[in-house]
Amino acid sequence: MPGTCLNHWQKLPELRKLRELSAPPKALYYLGHWQPEIFENCAAVVGSRRMTEYGRRIIDLLVPRLVFEKKTIISGFMYGVDQYAHRVCLDNGGKTIAVLGWGINMPYKSSDLKLAERIKTGGLILSEWENQQPALWTFPVRNRIVAALSSEIFVVEAAAKSGALITASLAHKLKKKIWAVPGPITSRTSQGTNALISSGIASMWLGSLPPAKIEFGKDPLLNLLENEALSTDEIARKLNKNVAEVGAQLSLLTLDGRLTEKEGKYFINHAY
Amino acid sequence: MLTKICSIANIGLETIPVIVEVDVAQSGFPGFTIVGLASKAVEEAKERVKTAIINSGLEFPSKKITVNLAPADLPKDGAAYDLPIAVGVLIAGGQITASPAVNLKRTFFYGELSLDGTLRPTRGILLLALHAQKKRNTTIIVPMPSANEATNVSGIKILPVKTLTRLIRHITAGQFIIPLKRPKAKKVTEKIIIEFDLNEIAGQELAKRALTITAAGGHNLLMWGPPGTGKTMLARALPGILPPLTDREALEVTRVYSVAGLVSPGEAVIQKRPFRAPHHGVSAAGLIGGGSNPLPGEVSLAHLGVLFLDEMPEFQRSVLESLRQPMEDGTIEIVRAKGHVRYPASFTLIAAVNPCPCGYYGHPKRECKCSERQIAKYHHRISGPIIDRIDLSVSVAAVETEKLSLTRQNEINRLSSKEAKELVVKARQIQTKRFAQSAIYTNSQMRNRDVKRFASLTSDAENLLKIAADRFDLSARSYFRLIKVARTIADLETEEKILPRHMAEALQYKQNT
Repeated sequence: MPGTCLNHWQKLPELRKLRELSAPPKALYYLGHWQPEIFENCAAVVGSRRMTEYGRRIIDLLVPRLVFEKKTIISGFMYGVDQYAHRVCLDNGGKTIAVLGWGINMPYKSSDLKLAERIKTGGLILSEWENQQPALWTFPVRNRIVAALSSEIFVVEAAAKSGALITASLAHKLKKKIWAVPGPITSRTSQGTNALISSGIASMWLGSLPPAKIEFGKDPLLNLLENEALSTDEIARKLNKNVAEVGAQLSLLTLDGRLTEKEGKYFINHAY
Repeated sequence: MLTKICSIANIGLETIPVIVEVDVAQSGFPGFTIVGLASKAVEEAKERVKTAIINSGLEFPSKKITVNLAPADLPKDGAAYDLPIAVGVLIAGGQITASPAVNLKRTFFYGELSLDGTLRPTRGILLLALHAQKKRNTTIIVPMPSANEATNVSGIKILPVKTLTRLIRHITAGQFIIPLKRPKAKKVTEKIIIEFDLNEIAGQELAKRALTITAAGGHNLLMWGPPGTGKTMLARALPGILPPLTDREALEVTRVYSVAGLVSPGEAVIQKRPFRAPHHGVSAAGLIGGGSNPLPGEVSLAHLGVLFLDEMPEFQRSVLESLRQPMEDGTIEIVRAKGHVRYPASFTLIAAVNPCPCGYYGHPKRECKCSERQIAKYHHRISGPIIDRIDLSVSVAAVETEKLSLTRQNEINRLSSKEAKELVVKARQIQTKRFAQSAIYTNSQMRNRDVKRFASLTSDAENLLKIAADRFDLSARSYFRLIKVARTIADLETEEKILPRHMAEALQYKQNT
């Protein structure tokens, strides 16, 4: 199904924010069901294409909260942070807008198709082009729309040279609220976000952990995992316990829902 | 004059008797013809036999010589017909006369000749011996370097021959050859050199534990992690903790090695569990066996031992797919135009996999250079059916050097290969007892109905499994796989029933999909 062309988008009140851009788009195309209220309270969630497990966990924490606050999640429909944010938003029954970095009528990759179909029913897919091939220049250009449409921006993970930083600096010029999620200084995918924080462009987003709710001193294993994610080997070493025994205990805690395992490491489930 | 000499042909592991008929005609032009679907190697026996006879100080008859290898429609390959042809020529030519003490009808001749008249190591001697055993009062005459292979077989007379001249003295009753004695039933002391001791590998406690379970239950194991974390070292440490071969198993392994010509001269029986690590460039024929007269491939050479596939996704997909039949049935059937051959192939698969093509996905310090697409494509190379047959999966993560020094203090998880092997042997004994009435050896070989019969769970353990099945969306196959692994873990503790803690540990090694 080809995208619908919005004639005279400049006249639509819900898109007034786009007019503030120094170079507003010439045309706009969309897929999905047009609903003006979707543009009312938008938050952009952007970040690296190469999302790490940390990024995934942040999105799991952040997006449901934004959905709860009745915010529309805007992102760039690129694999990695963007697509995961769209997906978690839809999973939680939220509305989402995907701004494409290519023409609205370009065929989707098979891996993207499913998500695109879901977004069409629960939100909008936007593009300023009709038949534009994706190119290096199209993505930063697309980012100005993401920045303009949203009232606040969350940068989840970004390397030192990331498209998400372009979005952030555009948003900064448009005087939007920018949040960045801090990360380990050794992690490449957190260099960009940490830089945003240290330069003062962005505020630090710390989530909000349920304070003092976790019982300390109960299980030494859970205590260990409070601070960092560890593998079975590391836990066994720190507790000086047999791996077989530690492994069995970890399986039980995972089944309980208290821990989550990803790529060999165990995390505390704070949602529990 | 016409003489008939007994020999054999090996087609795969099957042995078919072959009569070598030699006729030296009194009239006609001198010539030497071999008929009976002889391959190139057999054709060339003419030159070897002729030269060997002359170099042994005898005369090669310049008459019309015809050799027929009966049955005539069975293809013959290999150099083992040199000896029967040479003996046949000498007797048919009237140069020597077999003494009545040598019963040619009950004597098998088998061996390759060297040009100087000595006998060379020949493959397939064990199969000849096993064939000869089926008849009473048989004698086999085989090259001395390979004769030890036959000593595993009782009820036959084995005559080791060094040279053609020596054999002729035997046949003409000048000086008999002393038959080889069967080795005394003394337990062959195991002198297996341990390549890597588990102690030498820093960290990776969970992987070592998984390796112990693998060795104990014969389960297939998948190790994944970035390069340089010890996957290969761990796999190479496995032979050091595997239980010794039983006599029955040793004979099974030696049979395959005998056909492949891999029993080293003088060796009687393969005592070490095979460990095969083919390179990822291996062809399908190399892996499962092949050739016009199919020889055993790596899967058969790993029979009752370990097949280690390092960097598994680097193998050609079609080659990996060919593992499906042997992994399911424990045998491999190779079909060629000339017929089909079946070899045993019941092995434990150890696969090492990098997380992505560059190897550093998820590495704490180094950055991965692969795109998402590349990673997905890389994982796609191993098909579901193969993954489905792997019981244990374990992550071998990068160990940071500062943590390595800590591990020395961690005494509780210290496990030497010797200790691990003791655990494994004990667990195997329990399994041998359990499966005494069945055709299987290990827990991993249990079929679903065997699982129901032999692996009894306590109700708590069963509930735990049900919760896990629900939470992790386990398939029926992985459900049974978990029980099998839990059964082995319980065996390692010599527990009769599977307790919740065994099941919980087994869950550690399930695959993340």
